[in-house]
Amino acid sequence: MDLVARYVAAVQRELPEAKRDEIGRELKANIMDKLDGMAEQHGSLTEADIAGVLKQMGRPRAVAQQFAPPQPLIRLSYMPLYQYTLFLVLGILFLLQVVETTINWVSSSDMGLVQYLFRLAAGFLDDVIFAFASITAAFWFMSRQPSAKPEDCTTDWHPEQLPKAGPSWQHISLQDTFTDLATYLFLLVVIWYPMWMSAEQLDSSRLLLTDHAYLWLKWASPLAVLGLALGIWQLQQRLWSRAMLISNLVLNCALTAVILGLAASGRLLQLDVERWHGVFELYQLERAAVTSLIIIAMFPLWEVGRDLLRLRKL
Amino acid sequence: MTAAQLDKMRLELRRGVLVLAVLASLKQPHYGYSLRRQLQDRGIDIDEGTLYPLIRRLADQELLNSEWRQGEGRERRYYQLSDLGTELLGQLSDEWQQLNGALSNILGGAAEETD
Repeated sequence: MDLVARYVAAVQRELPEAKRDEIGRELKANIMDKLDGMAEQHGSLTEADIAGVLKQMGRPRAVAQQFAPPQPLIRLSYMPLYQYTLFLVLGILFLLQVVETTINWVSSSDMGLVQYLFRLAAGFLDDVIFAFASITAAFWFMSRQPSAKPEDCTTDWHPEQLPKAGPSWQHISLQDTFTDLATYLFLLVVIWYPMWMSAEQLDSSRLLLTDHAYLWLKWASPLAVLGLALGIWQLQQRLWSRAMLISNLVLNCALTAVILGLAASGRLLQLDVERWHGVFELYQLERAAVTSLIIIAMFPLWEVGRDLLRLRKL
Repeated sequence: MTAAQLDKMRLELRRGVLVLAVLASLKQPHYGYSLRRQLQDRGIDIDEGTLYPLIRRLADQELLNSEWRQGEGRERRYYQLSDLGTELLGQLSDEWQQLNGALSNILGGAAEETD
């Protein structure tokens, strides 16, 4: 009978404290009844017989979970809202981190690109841990409150307010929107932050562009502002409309033109040639910069083609 | 269909019916093991891991009354239908009869179509 006591104790350890005594007492009574029933049929039972019966009943943890099913950390009905909140907050934190790290990068003379990316990732990871823990804790607390009525049964919604059924691409993913927003913010910080820098800071900063290339970017910065506005509009609507597609198309046409124009405008880079002597020639770097700009221009151009097709289908 | 899929669907099919079988059996008082034996004798084999937690859940929902009694040198917890449980059993039985009739028609119709 020692086996039975050990089995019941093992089940009790897996149960909430308030239910341990009652369930343990009842489980023990049920097992003893079963063993008595078997003994009546087959004679006295050996330890192996008892072990067989207990094994048939299942692992103590599984039995305990049948009596007291584990509660999920977050109620199932809250999961979509939880995921949405998490994604939204992490997206905003990513944007803020992009701004902060880019400002540090632009104003620093000894931070390389790899270090910039590392700082961006490390800073974002810090934010993610804090935000994830806070949001999860808030939803855990909400899930512990008794729910008045299952959400499925509520009647405070109207089928007429549902958006029109459309193709699957019409739904705008949060990931795409936040990637766009981060790109435009990065551009704006890189273009405009030097305005607030002193002459000394400016000398020691990593501004590698020629004056006319920099001026070109300044003139193009309203496009980045428009991109930000479009991103915020997308966050509000979350569904591509004709107006939104046309705006995106116009913006991407303008971006393609600006990037290609910059690539064709003449000398782009202003480098300390002596420093790179023997490593790179200036014309090689210029050619690499022009090629990079042409490749970058392909992205908005691809979106132009995509949006044209979508406009025809919508 | 694999054996695992079949087992899963059988479990789903039986789950709701077991509640009805347990409630109907507890018109008379029973302790866990005796209830299981009675259900087995009547053709419903239900493992302990399902039956005992189910009885407790029904008791928590106040559909069953329970009390500890001494008998044959051992204490046992006896369960019996409460007033609320009796009322629910009546409603569930009607629902079952209706569903069973409809399902028989559907299954009969399906069998004829197959022939």
